[in-house]
Amino acid sequence: MTHGSGARRTVGVEGISRVEGEGSLRVEVHDGAVTEVALDIFEPPRYFEALLVGRHFTEAPDITARICGICPVAYQMSACAAMEDACGVTVDGRVRSLRRLLYCGEWIQSHALHIYLLHAPDFLGCADAVELAEQDRGAVERGLAIKRTGNLVMATVGGRAVHPVNVRVGGFYRAPDPAAIAALREPLLQARDDALATVAWVSGFEFPDVVGGYRFVALRDPGRYPIESGRPASSEGLDVSPGAFAALAVEEHVAHSTALHARLAGRDPYLTGPLARYALNAGVLPPVAAEAASAAGLGPVCWNPFQSIVVRAVELVFACDEALTLLEAYEPPDPPAAEVRARPGFGTGVTEAPRGLLLHRYEIDADGTIVTARIMPPTSQNQLTIEADLRRVVEAGLDLDDADLQWRCEQAVRNHDPCISCAAHFLDLSVETR
Amino acid sequence: MIRPPARVVVAGLGNEYRRDDGAGPLIAERAVTRAGRGSVVGPLADPLDLLGEWDDADLAVVVDAVHSGQMPGTLTTVELVDGPDGGIPGGHRGASSTHGIGLAGVLRLARAVDRAPGRVVVVGIEGGDFSQGTGLSPEVQAAVPSAVRRVVDLIEGGVPCA
Repeated sequence: MTHGSGARRTVGVEGISRVEGEGSLRVEVHDGAVTEVALDIFEPPRYFEALLVGRHFTEAPDITARICGICPVAYQMSACAAMEDACGVTVDGRVRSLRRLLYCGEWIQSHALHIYLLHAPDFLGCADAVELAEQDRGAVERGLAIKRTGNLVMATVGGRAVHPVNVRVGGFYRAPDPAAIAALREPLLQARDDALATVAWVSGFEFPDVVGGYRFVALRDPGRYPIESGRPASSEGLDVSPGAFAALAVEEHVAHSTALHARLAGRDPYLTGPLARYALNAGVLPPVAAEAASAAGLGPVCWNPFQSIVVRAVELVFACDEALTLLEAYEPPDPPAAEVRARPGFGTGVTEAPRGLLLHRYEIDADGTIVTARIMPPTSQNQLTIEADLRRVVEAGLDLDDADLQWRCEQAVRNHDPCISCAAHFLDLSVETR
Repeated sequence: MIRPPARVVVAGLGNEYRRDDGAGPLIAERAVTRAGRGSVVGPLADPLDLLGEWDDADLAVVVDAVHSGQMPGTLTTVELVDGPDGGIPGGHRGASSTHGIGLAGVLRLARAVDRAPGRVVVVGIEGGDFSQGTGLSPEVQAAVPSAVRRVVDLIEGGVPCA
């Protein structure tokens, strides 16, 4: 939608498709200068935190899993980590490995979904995945096959692919049978091959020449790529405990949005997600993923947000490979869960959701009743940076016609795979340029 | 003689922590239990998760809470057809959905890769309360038995769409 004339121009995007949730983004350009960028969220704020207050601490993983249909395991894992932190419990290595395997399944299905069905159409001139399927059926079938394997991993470990039911504070209700885990090997080998083909495919896309100036924040987990554990770190030397990070990452309300916007120390915007994880952890990728990254032309840091699809594909290779490593070493945890007794206090859990760092922090009382709850999803942490990206994209694309500029802005948002239903239940993204 | 479809998948879309949005999974579960046949899938938060779940079905019944301005508890049954909106009233963009690709889009995608069920029928139950929390509103709760009967009839091949 375009309004105005002369030096003032308004491009309005009523909603952005292929973004989880609905929202609107408004960009104003006046006399060739971008004067305003505002990501608007129309839906009332999320009340999941309020819903959690008064519930038993053991209910948090299942309740918070319902926040997002794409990344329920992330919510379960961060909730478990926070509750175990509050109760002073450390789970054993077998439980940790099984959690990591489950989480790999979620990364695989989520990354395959985003790359093939939501993001790739942008680069190939397709309106959506249906058009892409008509243009390149083989690619879409490959993406769907990878996604199915991710779902299979989640169903095998978590009991079902959507909103897994086998996760509990302390571990799992039941340890999967070794034969069921071993049966994942063949599909995962195929998925890893398909993921390598994915890297080759997306690295051949044409990328706008945009360089973002990012403050990256991701977990670091000594010796391995972070998924279900680690310490929050940044590209500027931050290295803190999860609890200290919860204090540092200050969320604020802004007038145009009902989601919270996070800043470090109340001041600095930052970016979480694949670009940040890769920038802080590329050196610990397994050889197959590191070689794929190198072949795709990625250096140790990727500053072009449009190439996030390549980084996501490299992480897809990593997740398939990591799942294979974990299943080869699988030994059922016995017992499948540590005993967790409530004690009064605070607990913080941070894990790497497919879209970025997901923080949960709770206070529970002596009976295990939740007193306060705070959930900081990756999208609300990335929102200010997405706005900054949009400013750069608009400034670099003022010579584009409205339709192309609008398309480019939508792409810029999808680069970060925002899951607005995590940040608020719905988001309508609209862009206005004047 | 009415011949029931050989392979039936009944999918419940919705979120049981958004009150009436949880009606779909509840109805799907009860209908399959009552019919004694068919596979139940759900709760699904995203229609894309139907891919892979309904591929081999002769009939897929998708049960979902809807928001169309009718009285809460009103039932609507629609068989999806080819086209951008799939024949769903107002379904061209899934205006009240959080999902990246709506149900009609997912069916078009499934058909494009030859993984679509033979038929897809949507049973919609009008919701009145989509706020955070568990439990259905009284109006929707009262309509659950009728919705279950309608889905059972579809499983048994006895209900034409209207």
